[in-house]
Amino acid sequence: MSITEILFWFLSVLAVGGAMLLVASKNPVHSILYLIITFFAVSGHYILLNAQFLAIVNIIVYAGAIMVLFLFVVMLMNLNADSEPPQKNRLLLYSGTIAGCCLLLVLVAALKQSSTTSQLVEMGGGDAGLIKNLGMALFSDYVFPFEISSVLFLSAMIGAVVISKKEA
Amino acid sequence: MFGGVFIKNKAMCKYLAILGLLIVILVNCMELYSGESLFAIDTNNMLSFNSFNLVFITVAMVCTLIFFLLSGSDIEKVGANVSEYFALIFFVLCGVCLAATFNTLLILFIGIEIISIPLYILTGSDKRNLKSNEAALKYFLMGAFSTGIMLMGIAFLYGGNPEGSFYISSLNAGQGKMPVMIAIGLVFMLIAMSFKVSAVPFHFWTPDVYDGAPAVFTSFMATIVKIGGFIAFIRLFENSFGSVQPQWQLLIAIITAATLFIGNLTAVFQQSVKRMLAYSSIAQAGFMLLSIFALNEAAKEGLILYAAAYSLATIGLFAILIKMEDYTIEGFNGLGKKQPVLAVTATVFLLSLTGIPLTAGFQSKFYMLMAAVRDGHHQWLVIFAVLCAAISAYYYFKIIQAMFFKEVSLNTTSNNLLLASAETTSTFRGLLIFIAILIIVLGLFPWLLTDWLHYQ
Repeated sequence: MSITEILFWFLSVLAVGGAMLLVASKNPVHSILYLIITFFAVSGHYILLNAQFLAIVNIIVYAGAIMVLFLFVVMLMNLNADSEPPQKNRLLLYSGTIAGCCLLLVLVAALKQSSTTSQLVEMGGGDAGLIKNLGMALFSDYVFPFEISSVLFLSAMIGAVVISKKEA
Repeated sequence: MFGGVFIKNKAMCKYLAILGLLIVILVNCMELYSGESLFAIDTNNMLSFNSFNLVFITVAMVCTLIFFLLSGSDIEKVGANVSEYFALIFFVLCGVCLAATFNTLLILFIGIEIISIPLYILTGSDKRNLKSNEAALKYFLMGAFSTGIMLMGIAFLYGGNPEGSFYISSLNAGQGKMPVMIAIGLVFMLIAMSFKVSAVPFHFWTPDVYDGAPAVFTSFMATIVKIGGFIAFIRLFENSFGSVQPQWQLLIAIITAATLFIGNLTAVFQQSVKRMLAYSSIAQAGFMLLSIFALNEAAKEGLILYAAAYSLATIGLFAILIKMEDYTIEGFNGLGKKQPVLAVTATVFLLSLTGIPLTAGFQSKFYMLMAAVRDGHHQWLVIFAVLCAAISAYYYFKIIQAMFFKEVSLNTTSNNLLLASAETTSTFRGLLIFIAILIIVLGLFPWLLTDWLHYQ
């Protein structure tokens, strides 16, 4: 068992465990923290697959921005275990479990047929996800849209200032 | 290319804005005449400049220049952040230029977004006014939704074309039947673009937004931005879906007919002139859609002419409207006696919007109808359009009637007309007369503008 495989299994356990705890925990804030763990583990998988850019963006956008937003919403609405309505409908519970198991079945059946199951990690091979290639494309073929989108962001920034500034 | 020129003008007052605009117009005209540009930037074929685009950009810029000259002082009254407003308007203009010259869907998307985002801000710039805030929020939510649809359409088009590229020329759906993905993408793009130009099933935001936004920005929004949307619309459909025109022509025909019908009919019932102009801009959009329906040479000439005629007349009308205290039709009562210059020029603008001969509005409507007739399909649309133009005469003439043949009602007299007489300077009146003359000249000699198309 090489180091990458150990890493893979470690990250997988982390991701699946985080996801389980996310669903199971009663406190919404804890759920969000578990979700962050899951996102970090998935980002680790991206790195193992040699997709650096995706991994970094995943951390910045999902684990950073969106999670903070989630936390803010939860804290602002002051949700916690007490305010949650007691789950009475058992039928809903059963139907949810069955639906989840069906999804699992379909996923397992689909993945079993696919050809990529044998290869867990892809270190060193494949350069589609490297930041270098992305940068090359961005600054050669797509330099014009790249520059122009700066105008878009500038206008959005000016707009935000105009909207939020206090009228004298 | 023009983006770089605009950013320099960020911190500017009115005069700097006008100066900057003049320079850009000069550069643009130079390129139009000689065919060589000031800077040649390699955009990897993502933008294309031909005489049609350049004439169109010139029209849009000249309209903006006139807008600044006429309403520049009104922009200063809206709020404290004057230079920001000008900067945002310049950003919009930059977006219009991109939308007029795009060659890939990527640029189309960025261009449309650069047009939209500053507009959301400008709509809400009157922060004390609840209506303005509501309009901005509504516009933002609806606009974000339509942008989402557009992105979805772009994704479908990208996935559907065999070469997998964003270039609109390679999207060509080929002869015969379209692939499913391309068809879905086409419909999504159609929906998103119809939203941006406020064609009928997607027009619900227009009256509220135009009514809620400060009148100066409504004037800008209803003219330059709208024609910018149309140029993007016609470019996209001509270059990427032109070969499968029979398949979507009926769809456009139905949208056009609905736009003409609902726009004109609801405008009849409006009491507020500002709101009426919003509906009439929907109706005028219906006429401009005829060019997308027809997609031939006459249609392109007609679109340029229509863009010029409609923008000039609407900018002029809004400039007069801003001077009024009372935006209802009664507010115009007796204007003919107190402010003859304003009233006469307003009459010319209204006649042009109606499409009375001798004005630019007539020529442009004529070109549009000619294009649709030449196309040879769905001739009922032409008859329908003429009928709708006749309906539009009713509500435009109502204002003319109010100006000349109605006495001033007593309760609104005092402040309203005092204000009107106090605030019009002689340059303002002179500019209005200049626009009116421009409209009549374009009506008599439309080839002054359309000949530019064949210059290169």
